[in-house]
Amino acid sequence: MSLLEVDDIEVRYGAIRALKGVSFHVEEGEVVALLGANGAGKTTTQKTVSGMMRPSLGEIRFDGERIDGVPAHTLIHKGICHVPEGRRVFPRMSVLENLEMGAFRFKTHDEAVLDRVFELFPRLKERVKQLGGTLSGGEQQMLAIGRALMGKPRLLLLDEPSMGLAPLVVQQIFEIIREINDDGVTVLVVEQNATQALGLADRGYVLETGEVVLSGTGAELLADDRIRAAYLGEEIAH
Amino acid sequence: MRNVPWYQNPTVKRLFGCLALGLVLSLMIGKQQGSRDDYYVGIKKALFGPSILGPRIILFLLVGVGVFFLITYWSRIKPYLGRPGIKPMAIGALGVVMGYVLLKWTDNSRAAADGKLGTLSDAASSTEGLSPIAQTFFTMPVPWILFLVSLIATLIAVILRNRVLGYAAAAICVVAGLWGYLAHGYVQSFLGTPDHSLGSAFQLLAYLTIAGGALVAARSHLEVADTKNFIRRAFAWRPGLFLAAIGSLVGLESLLQATWFSPQGRNATLVDMSALFAGSGLAPVSQQFLRWGAFVLLGAAILVGLVATLGLARKKLGWVAFGVGVVGALLTLLTLYLATGYAASEGFEGATGHWQNLGAGGWLAAMAFVMLAGAGWIVATLDAPVQVEKAERDLMSSDTVGGSVRHIPGMKYALLIAVIAVALFYPPTMTEYWQNVLVSQIGIFVLLAIGLNVVVGWAGLLDLGFIAFYAVGSYTTAWLVGSLPAKPPFTVSPLWAIPVAVIFALIAGVMLGAPTLRLRGDYLAIVTLGFGEIVRIVAVNAESITNSTRGPSPAVPHPAISIGPLQWEWGLNYLQYWYLLLVIMVLVIIGFRRLEDSRLGRAWAAIREDEVAAQATGVNTFRAKLFAFAIGASTSGIAGVFFASQVGYFNPQNFTLEYSILVVAYVVFGGMGSLPGAMAGAAVLTWLPEFLKEQVPAEDRQMWIGAVILLMMIFRPAGLIPATRRETELEGIDEAPRIEPRAVPESESMGATS
Repeated sequence: MSLLEVDDIEVRYGAIRALKGVSFHVEEGEVVALLGANGAGKTTTQKTVSGMMRPSLGEIRFDGERIDGVPAHTLIHKGICHVPEGRRVFPRMSVLENLEMGAFRFKTHDEAVLDRVFELFPRLKERVKQLGGTLSGGEQQMLAIGRALMGKPRLLLLDEPSMGLAPLVVQQIFEIIREINDDGVTVLVVEQNATQALGLADRGYVLETGEVVLSGTGAELLADDRIRAAYLGEEIAH
Repeated sequence: MRNVPWYQNPTVKRLFGCLALGLVLSLMIGKQQGSRDDYYVGIKKALFGPSILGPRIILFLLVGVGVFFLITYWSRIKPYLGRPGIKPMAIGALGVVMGYVLLKWTDNSRAAADGKLGTLSDAASSTEGLSPIAQTFFTMPVPWILFLVSLIATLIAVILRNRVLGYAAAAICVVAGLWGYLAHGYVQSFLGTPDHSLGSAFQLLAYLTIAGGALVAARSHLEVADTKNFIRRAFAWRPGLFLAAIGSLVGLESLLQATWFSPQGRNATLVDMSALFAGSGLAPVSQQFLRWGAFVLLGAAILVGLVATLGLARKKLGWVAFGVGVVGALLTLLTLYLATGYAASEGFEGATGHWQNLGAGGWLAAMAFVMLAGAGWIVATLDAPVQVEKAERDLMSSDTVGGSVRHIPGMKYALLIAVIAVALFYPPTMTEYWQNVLVSQIGIFVLLAIGLNVVVGWAGLLDLGFIAFYAVGSYTTAWLVGSLPAKPPFTVSPLWAIPVAVIFALIAGVMLGAPTLRLRGDYLAIVTLGFGEIVRIVAVNAESITNSTRGPSPAVPHPAISIGPLQWEWGLNYLQYWYLLLVIMVLVIIGFRRLEDSRLGRAWAAIREDEVAAQATGVNTFRAKLFAFAIGASTSGIAGVFFASQVGYFNPQNFTLEYSILVVAYVVFGGMGSLPGAMAGAAVLTWLPEFLKEQVPAEDRQMWIGAVILLMMIFRPAGLIPATRRETELEGIDEAPRIEPRAVPESESMGATS
């Protein structure tokens, strides 16, 4: 049984069908990437999995239990933590307060987890008292990931962690995602940066206008001509 | 170079402009005279009427010339504006002018018609038998000369940054301020009527502020040249000093000048009172207290309190001050109680019973004792060296938010104790009119602002129909006591209506919140606005339930308690209501403080910051917002109960949209999301119109209120006492904490580097 099974879900914004029957699965301990251009439905998929949106058709199962339509604040108790698109740290809270908010589902935060977060992101430790909004883009992304880790996730949902960041920082972030995965956290990452994401992911799915058009292991997808053409901007010699 | 006629020279043009400004000002300022048929008289009076420098026009042309020089040499003046001490000096100078020109110096309309310094001095300077100290002060231009001398001395000290001059200027300011204060005291004891005017106290405070500026100047070559931090350091090293200083001033006033006992307008000071009761049947403790105890105890408390707070870690002295203060306060209250009771039972002329016929003196003494005890307690309990070290560290690390007086260790407690002491002992000294304002305006709106602050400030939901819950509370009370056409199953005293009213308001809050809280921002504001109006219109139209616009009848009775032997009924005077309100407020505040730091409080903060992120971290946003609505509404319900039982009679006109908007304005004015801020905002904005009523002509009142709000918007955009988060929100988070720009000009800076 997979940790997360998404079975033929359809999501609508009013009359518009954003997802037209998307299915995929994530195994325990895997890193899975969802790729796609703007408007392909990546973020919608993620929001649906994390409980912020409700599918009109189809099922989502986490650990064998149906979770479609369960609200986000309940899902987090099952261990699904979400790093929303555009980082969204609390700008007027300090770094520490942001991290503490991440552990909101517990009565008090776990010091061991906090230490682990600081170990992964030493930059955050240097800036515990600084306000979230004063951090640089990369630091904010680190904070957003750290905040999600404070909720002790089994499944970590990352929405475009590379958005708007310098290439070097993106690389750093992906290395840390690797480390998080090594700690035993399953990761589902939505990305446009196909090289980075597929380099990291065990498997990947490619979404186009609300449908899965391709899937395979990271290496397979990286080698696929269509991927190279669409996301890596390479001219394919025929 | 082109040859321009002399009158087109920019400097000359500017001079003419400034002189014209003077002319216009002379026509604008002052009493408008003349009539539509005869403009000439008005203009003549405006130009050639008397002033301290001959015809008015000369004075105003001089102002114009001053403005001319100010503009012309602005580039040379500007560097001096960053000098340490200039800010307190400017604020103080403004305060002194306000005290001299705007505020009342006496309530006695026989002595001075409008009660201001000008008219009072006309009367006082020629009065036979008035103390020469007062007579000299009230001889007209003396106060202004004092003002100019202090200002110029301080200015020179600030510009030269000379240590000796700085101390001297500070001394001059203190003398000038005290002189006016004492002169006012002599006049009052001469007139022998109770007095509630503020002018002299205000100008004393303003002079002390100027003196502060001079002190900053005197010390600025030692410290980093930065006024704000200088003040912080001075206090950071001496927690409680502020409280001890105020306590000492209040105490001296109570012992030396204030009226303690005034049956039939007798106005006995402490000494007179002691003579009055000497050898009578009054309890010996109180007799001794009146004769020497008060002096000795207060003197000891002041001495020990000041010494303890001036030095660090004098823990034992702190405890002594605390003990003396508490004993003094208790003895004062006991004596007041016994003496008034004894006077009434022995048939003193005009004495009417316990706690009656009292002047301000006893209450001020109690206030002083409590403040000094508080100062002692702060010194005794605060781990000063550690705290101070931490404060210094915070001061140095530029990344943390901060930089206001509130962050001084111990300052929070000092302010809290000062507020408590004033809230307990100041109201009895006020006139009945002001006690009414305090209870039925200030108190109720403070309670409403506390409630709305939860909704607007903490959860970030704009509620424009808040007054509806207040209406629900009021009508529930009227219903429960049987004053409405619809009768309840059983009637109770208004006090017992509180829980029911809270529940009803809470239900109303949930009823409004549940369907509408999915809306955001403006949409929510419009829906709540509609809700407020619906409640009011229902109250008007549901005649068989609410008695429509006639309001409840018979009037809602005053609350009463009768548990066994304990019988108590409110309604005899406003003070009793004030203390009831104070108890309610303290309970609400304690509850809300805990709420702010609770999980729910953190959830609110997260929602306010970023709702999506809050959801992502597992906050049930809908439930948290609903809680905010319900809690805010129930606070408003309590205010409603209080209002209904205090006024007895009300009608739907008391719950119009205007009041909803006012409460929002109070919260914004005070500082959104800050509990003390919301309270201060409501208190200031309800107090101000009443205060201005007797200070300025009625037509000008709104203008003054507008001016105050405008000034606030410019200088404190985040509110009177902003919440720390909100402060950064408006200042922009990228900005480092502000430090005064280059306090010392480059050419004068110290050290070898320049």
